[in-house]
Amino acid sequence: MIKKLLIVDDEAEICEFLKSFFEDRDFKVATAHNGIAALEQVERFQPDVVLLDIQMPGMDGLQTLKKMKDTHPKLKVIMVTAVETQEKIEEAMRLGADNYITKPLSLEYLEKDVQDKIDSLAKIS
Amino acid sequence: MKSLDGTALRILKIKRNAALESDPVFRGMPAMPKKVDLLTVPKFDYQEVLRDVARSMVRLKRPDRLLKLIIRFIDRQFGLTHASLLVLDPKKGCYVFVNSKGAKRLPVGLVKFDTNHPVVQWFAGSQKKLPIQKDFLFLSDVKKMLSRAEFRMASNSKGDHLLAIQKTMQNLKVELLVPGYFKDTLVGLLMLGRRVNGRCFTTQEVTFFQTLAHDCSMAVKTAEHNQNLIEQNHELERRLQEIERMRSKEQKTYYEIMRSLAEEVHAKEPNIFGHVSEVERLGMMTAREMGIDLSGNTKDLLSAALILHDVGKIGIPDNILCKPGQLTQEEWKVMKTHVEKGARILEPLTDFKRVREIIMAHHERFDGSGYPRGLKGDEISIEARIIAVVDSFHAIVSSRCYREGRSLDSAIQEVRNCSGTQFDPVVVDAFLRALKKELQKKGEIPSVLNEYSEA
Repeated sequence: MIKKLLIVDDEAEICEFLKSFFEDRDFKVATAHNGIAALEQVERFQPDVVLLDIQMPGMDGLQTLKKMKDTHPKLKVIMVTAVETQEKIEEAMRLGADNYITKPLSLEYLEKDVQDKIDSLAKIS
Repeated sequence: MKSLDGTALRILKIKRNAALESDPVFRGMPAMPKKVDLLTVPKFDYQEVLRDVARSMVRLKRPDRLLKLIIRFIDRQFGLTHASLLVLDPKKGCYVFVNSKGAKRLPVGLVKFDTNHPVVQWFAGSQKKLPIQKDFLFLSDVKKMLSRAEFRMASNSKGDHLLAIQKTMQNLKVELLVPGYFKDTLVGLLMLGRRVNGRCFTTQEVTFFQTLAHDCSMAVKTAEHNQNLIEQNHELERRLQEIERMRSKEQKTYYEIMRSLAEEVHAKEPNIFGHVSEVERLGMMTAREMGIDLSGNTKDLLSAALILHDVGKIGIPDNILCKPGQLTQEEWKVMKTHVEKGARILEPLTDFKRVREIIMAHHERFDGSGYPRGLKGDEISIEARIIAVVDSFHAIVSSRCYREGRSLDSAIQEVRNCSGTQFDPVVVDAFLRALKKELQKKGEIPSVLNEYSEA
């Protein structure tokens, strides 16, 4: 099974680093630097899992999350953000986020969580 | 060779910038040859560079800048894929990347290492175990150790530990790990990528990195220490301001109470309405006439003294204070204590030290025959000398319970008679001049004095 991951972050360096990290683990990876581009990639690239930043210019991560979940309810979305207010976490969870990981993050934990989401999808299908 | 020239130019540009910023870190670098052969490492004097780093540690007020310089220096000087620094953040309780330079640099602020991370664990407990010559870790050494039979067994905790370290180093494209300690705590970890030219690091270079890692840790600790000091200072300042604000509020309240008490004291004495405010007005008028500089708090000080001069009378029994006839000698003794009593009442007002002194002296006489201390001439403060004149004058023109009021003319005559004995002649002159001006302005008989001239 091909594992497909979409990384959404307005910082290109972060996208590149995580892309190379997951490609080393046999993921197919696409990146997007804003909400609109992320929604386009969801349609075109059809990812299994999305890593989604919150603070982005234009449409923010939470709005993007809502749109993604409206059109693709089965898509696994992991919020990856430096924002850690209780309010944002609760809102993200209410909008259907599958996890909320704050930066700086443990690469080991991120890897395991993404793999868990892939595994849970495999079980359903 | 174009790209080589490009590299040389880039390095020279940094050197020039560094010289412009007069960064001591860069001063130890040797002159660059015109063409750089990437297969030979540029030679420079390690000792000189280290001395410069040490010197800049002392001089540099911003240790975070020193960290930046060290990382940039390593990256450029050794031609690495990346040079990164992981640092302990005591507030977050984990290690985070604070700086990274090079083509394969790591994004700062994305990755953290918890204190139980295999790499942190490897170094955290190792300072005592490992001699300094071995306190670093090459990826190649990890691989070598893993190839040994003893680690290939399935349930081997050290093997697992090494595997986890290997994985992390590969994830981050790290060839060499160099720890930096402060006391026994792992504070920083230099993470170095491989050389672009593929060469290995020499022992001398590793020792050099160890020293720099140590310097980084010192800089981090210094920065933390500075930050703590700054925060403590801010907090202290905030509290001091708060205390000062409360104190001044308290003092203002206390002053207001004293003022109304002073009015109350005189309200007990019949036929002497408005004594407090009249003494204040006449006193200020006299001071102005004398040319006393009333800017700043001099005015408040004099005003407070004029208002509160008799506040000690609160402590005098009514049968003495309001006695219609002459006071006995014993009663006079009690009456005279109002001076010290007033000073004592004002003790809690720390800003009123001068006011207390003035009040203590307002019954002193110019010739030295007054009370309580028998001061004379200049020994009595100018404010007290003014109060003596206007207090007596107003007492005469109005009427106290112990004697009939006199006319304005005789009050003026009395003040003039006592000039040089009871009163300072300079103050008397100024007072009478000011009074005359006032009378002229208001017409022959000013209503304010008229009101008090007849009992």
